[in-house]
Amino acid sequence: MIQLFHVTKEYPGDAPALSDVTVSVEKGEFVFLTGASGAGKSTLLKLIFCDEPATSGQLLVLGRNVAKISPRSIPYLRRAIGVVFQDFKLLPRRTVAENVALPLEVLSLSPKDIRRKVKTLLRSVGLEHRAQKFPPSLSGGEQQRVAVARALAADPPILLADEPTGNLDPERTLEVMELLSAANARGTTVVVATHDRSLLDRYKRRVVTLERGRLVSDGDSVRRISGEGR
Amino acid sequence: MRIRPVYFTRRALEGMARGPYVALVGTATIFVALFATGLLAGVLSGAEHLLAAWVGEVRISVYLSPGTDLGAAHAAVSALTPGREVRAVPAAAALRQLSQELGDSSHVLDGVGPGALPDSVDVLAPGIGLEEARALALRLKALPGVFDVDYGNAWLEKLELFVSRAKFASVVVFAALALATAVLVGNSLRLAVFARREEIEILKLVGATDSFVSAPFLIEGLLEGVAGAALAALALLLVQAGLLPRLRSAIPLVSTLRFEDTLPSALLLGLFVGGAAVGLLGSALAVVRTLRKA
Repeated sequence: MIQLFHVTKEYPGDAPALSDVTVSVEKGEFVFLTGASGAGKSTLLKLIFCDEPATSGQLLVLGRNVAKISPRSIPYLRRAIGVVFQDFKLLPRRTVAENVALPLEVLSLSPKDIRRKVKTLLRSVGLEHRAQKFPPSLSGGEQQRVAVARALAADPPILLADEPTGNLDPERTLEVMELLSAANARGTTVVVATHDRSLLDRYKRRVVTLERGRLVSDGDSVRRISGEGR
Repeated sequence: MRIRPVYFTRRALEGMARGPYVALVGTATIFVALFATGLLAGVLSGAEHLLAAWVGEVRISVYLSPGTDLGAAHAAVSALTPGREVRAVPAAAALRQLSQELGDSSHVLDGVGPGALPDSVDVLAPGIGLEEARALALRLKALPGVFDVDYGNAWLEKLELFVSRAKFASVVVFAALALATAVLVGNSLRLAVFARREEIEILKLVGATDSFVSAPFLIEGLLEGVAGAALAALALLLVQAGLLPRLRSAIPLVSTLRFEDTLPSALLLGLFVGGAAVGLLGSALAVVRTLRKA
């Protein structure tokens, strides 16, 4: 589903954000991507959804080589990837329903189909009654649930979440994590970037750890993958 | 991308409603440019019609040297101007006509003898073009016994020169105005694009193509262009309705001008096409620059 081979990402004048990272995520997996701030978690997600190009290495997403993808093809690949951000990235002057409808409008669905799908999505995240509200009037947890609904709107095979619970209290964190787990249970491949150790302890999932741009462990156990070892 | 004019127009209208100031600035910019261009074009169109009307009434006077046989000159001029009315005007008749034209001031001719004016031959040449009149005058001037030919050339040539220069200037002015307007509209729409950069970012995040993102902005530019053109057309019609009747009563020369002479339908259509084009061009400039950076 997602394969990185010796991927490096460098920004001019800075140490590499990612350095020689090789990792693979299988279809239907739930993977935590963890590490301290600046470890390269967000950068790795950005490379996967083509927000930035890798400096070197190969990156396959859904069988497509992202390193060689043409700019015109990027939107079509993105339709297969749902993304959730720490700051929700909702449009404040559009209603909850309109925010969730955005990916469906991009897919040119009919207004009737969009309404039906949005209703189902909002019901699945428990926000059907908030459909006509504007995001600023919602709590952080509710806003993040709207963001999850939007990310899942187009039924993407991949869901990326960058610190999705970073702004939430523990109770709201659990609500959002349950939604991500439910999506994974329906077959969606989920990659969650987080530095919240409690999540890793609570949800026994595969954990990929980055440190200063390098992959230092991969798996349930803390298995060190040192540069010298490869 | 599927073409969905209703959806994109709705999004464009929503965008304009969310940022009415930007939409007003764009519309006002296009209005000013089109009004100035339309005013210039209207004046030129009127001048062209006047020119055509005056040329249509051209009378070519062939003045003869003293002692030239008027009858022979009439025959020679008639031979050069087949199908046109040619009149021999003896000096005495010319003096009488002048005296009549002077009316109450005819006393200034007291003491002027019949030989003061030359014999002449008049050619009535309705519908003749200026170039044709000029060529005919040259041929008439070459006839024996002719010392001058007058076809109102001083006025007509000045007017023709003015119209041709003004036409050239209007093309330059219109091109400059169109470019400046497109840049101004582009800048105002860049504000609109900038104000909605978050929406653009999220749309791109969920897989929107550049065409999908651009379409509402292009429609917004188009709508602003058409609205600016409609306002300009309305303002020109009002100016014309207020000014032309007064001009016609004050200046006899323009009394023949009709409303459609100064504001022909082609000019009105041109305003709408020009407004739409400038609006589209401006929004395209804004969106392309923003999407490149996105």
